[in-house]
Amino acid sequence: MLSLNLKRALLESRLPVPPTFLLPWAASLTTVSHTTGAGNVPPPLLNTVQQVSAEEQAAGSVTRKAQTPKPKRVDPTTTLARSATVAGTERPTTPSTLFSSPVAPLSESVRDLLPLLQAQGSHYITAHIHDRPYLITQGDTVRLPFFMKDAEPGDVLRLNKATNIGSRDYTLKASAPAPKLKSATTTTRMVLDPTTGSLESHSRVMPATSLDSNTAGASAAMAVAPHFIPHIAKGKVSYLDERLFVCRAVVMGMESEPMRMKEKTKRRNRKIKTVRSKHRYTVLKIKEVRIRGVEEIEGGGELA
Amino acid sequence: MSLPATTNYFRITLLRSAIGLPKKSSGVLAALGLHKRLRTVYHPVSQTVAGQVFAVKELVDVQEVDQALTKREMRELRQPESGFYVERRAGAGKDVIGGREVV
Repeated sequence: MLSLNLKRALLESRLPVPPTFLLPWAASLTTVSHTTGAGNVPPPLLNTVQQVSAEEQAAGSVTRKAQTPKPKRVDPTTTLARSATVAGTERPTTPSTLFSSPVAPLSESVRDLLPLLQAQGSHYITAHIHDRPYLITQGDTVRLPFFMKDAEPGDVLRLNKATNIGSRDYTLKASAPAPKLKSATTTTRMVLDPTTGSLESHSRVMPATSLDSNTAGASAAMAVAPHFIPHIAKGKVSYLDERLFVCRAVVMGMESEPMRMKEKTKRRNRKIKTVRSKHRYTVLKIKEVRIRGVEEIEGGGELA
Repeated sequence: MSLPATTNYFRITLLRSAIGLPKKSSGVLAALGLHKRLRTVYHPVSQTVAGQVFAVKELVDVQEVDQALTKREMRELRQPESGFYVERRAGAGKDVIGGREVV
């Protein structure tokens, strides 16, 4: 039984080399032990993993690549004389910090522009609850499309998964997720651009294996994974660093819809079965949307 | 393709259905435990299982792995992150974090 904290920690660690049981061909490339429990390691479910492993194998390297962090991009949306958009820089982390909570430094763009974002009055945030985005600001009332069973009215929730934080002139976005890899199946067709590639017919050709992916991948319409990727391993949304913001919501209570009756029957059958539905929905009130300062983040403050 | 030191299991995923194929193929899939498309099963590596896979090799995708996931584990991996945690329970003191109630 996998513990949720362990799973979440490993999902967020974004290992460039996957554990053995999901992607075996890349397992021998790592020299770092990924097991924290008794072999109960859930796989990292990112396409960065697949891509990097394919590249690594093609290059034949055994060393571990740098872990790709979440570079932040702060985009000014006005035409005032502000600095141009600065792309976030990659921060390589050592293997020793893989499973410990990394106190990674903020990137240059974040450190420069976060105070400007913070100084502006009102902020909005796109928080994700169960991977569904909600664009909220302080004081909003959100009726979730589901019922939270273990949330009593008055409980304070801390929302820690967000993709965008913005104000009137600035937006802090999470880094773009790695491009989706297409699963290699027998119906996959590689389309070559005739203007640049050869003019041979290439339809109904199985996509290249990982070893040849570098040669064929350049001209392919979409990168092909060396193996079938189950939907659990397909690319997901990448989130912002949790340390950058604080977002709290209070559970206000529960709403329910009016009773719905659905009649189920077939033609020429007199039996009518009636199904009753009365769904419940949790209502939250967003009580705080705050961006933390650079000193506060780097100082490692936990609460508030 | 380099494999890990110990590959104990086949990870078999059904990609194509056996509808319209001779009954032998669907029989093999049933024996493997693949009743629906895109379902995944783990079987220990053996000559028997290898032969079964070879019988339906056009329909399945196979990997060699060293750890078998249970149905519950695979289901947990499908669940998205919740995106929140309970910081304070109603009626609890301000020092409580993580939902533990202070009596």
